[in-house]
Amino acid sequence: MIEVRNLSYRYPDGKEALRDISFKVADGECIGLIGPNGAGKSTLLLHLNGILPERLASDPAVFVGGQPITEANLPEIRRQVGLLFQDADDQLFCPTVLEDVAFGPSQFGLDGDRARQALAAVGLAGFEERVTPHLSRGEKRRVCLAGVLACDPKVLVLDEPTTDLDPRGKRELKDLLKRIPATKIIASHDLELVVELCGRSILIDRGTVVADGETIELLNNELLMLEHGLERPHILMHQHPHRRVPFLA
Amino acid sequence: MRADFLDRHSRGTSPIHQLPAGGKLAGAVLIVVTVVLTQWPVWLGVAGLLIGVAALSRVPVGFLVKRLLWFEPVVLGMAILSLWQPGGVEKFTTLVCRSTLCVFTMILLANTTPFSRLLHVVQQLRVPAIFVTTLALLYRYLFVLVDEAERMQRARQARTYRRTRWTVLATVIGQLFVRSTERAERIYAAMCARGWK
Repeated sequence: MIEVRNLSYRYPDGKEALRDISFKVADGECIGLIGPNGAGKSTLLLHLNGILPERLASDPAVFVGGQPITEANLPEIRRQVGLLFQDADDQLFCPTVLEDVAFGPSQFGLDGDRARQALAAVGLAGFEERVTPHLSRGEKRRVCLAGVLACDPKVLVLDEPTTDLDPRGKRELKDLLKRIPATKIIASHDLELVVELCGRSILIDRGTVVADGETIELLNNELLMLEHGLERPHILMHQHPHRRVPFLA
Repeated sequence: MRADFLDRHSRGTSPIHQLPAGGKLAGAVLIVVTVVLTQWPVWLGVAGLLIGVAALSRVPVGFLVKRLLWFEPVVLGMAILSLWQPGGVEKFTTLVCRSTLCVFTMILLANTTPFSRLLHVVQQLRVPAIFVTTLALLYRYLFVLVDEAERMQRARQARTYRRTRWTVLATVIGQLFVRSTERAERIYAAMCARGWK
């Protein structure tokens, strides 16, 4: 579904952000993207629907559904790859909830009813006329997700989806994400989320892929985790009191 | 912080709140034009009308007066310049009365009509989309900006043990500018990600 071939990127100030990154994501797969702060996770995600690089290169490095991202197919790529941003306030820019969720569908010429359906899907039916600045952080996050889902993307790209959510919000988001059949790429420091949702994980540090493999195997490698600013998550060490973990039972 | 210091009462249930947004906008514009084109006997009538509307709308008097006082420094600042002209005192009072009435009209409009409805009306009047989008973004991020400024202020106060120096304030304002620019870039990226062209 998504293929990245030898992707490198430098910020306009010359700082190297990504170096020679390659990986493939199959249809329906759920991938965890892990790594320390400043590893390049967010920058990588911005490449997946053509927000970066500022000018598309002549030799494209990112392929979606076999198609390279070009100036001509950019709208189609952006419809297929839905991006959830780290800060909900960056994403919610319309005065009311419904207008914001309907923004994507209206840009892509999709049916107007999708916005209401997407709101219902994230459990926010009845929030249509609420004013976005007055929502709680958890609600904002869910409205953002509804705004992405309303465009009916084939790939969901999520940047730190559980930051500033309370435990219940996290649990609800996890359950919601499990129900969504799209291909998912989730960048997160919330390693428990990665363990629960992602069968495979990619560890990046200093702009390069350090490891790529089965999530549990990767995250159980304590030495590797510590070396790259992470920790072996508790959920892999003992029976988690909140939930039965099938692979430990 | 609840980001609603400008239009806290815009979503009320009074008869005034229930009037169509287009009618209220047209009425407000009409009042402003009338105030600008006429002299004081008419102003008394307009002031009476506005007070009547304010009473009917059930927006707390204290809130309206406070918001009016917020804008008064700007009004006075402009009016004071006219004192140095011939016939200055008369011009000064005219300016103050006119501006105060206009500002009060707008405060009433903002607190009896949700901003999103006003935007819809403006959109239906075929105002170019770019203006409507700019207005919507301005309204949306004004609160985020104020919120950010407040958080920075609080964080600074937590580490301030002496009197605040002007240079510190300048740094805060500069920081706020940098942060806003960066946020603007992120918002634009998020809009593009959902198909904005």
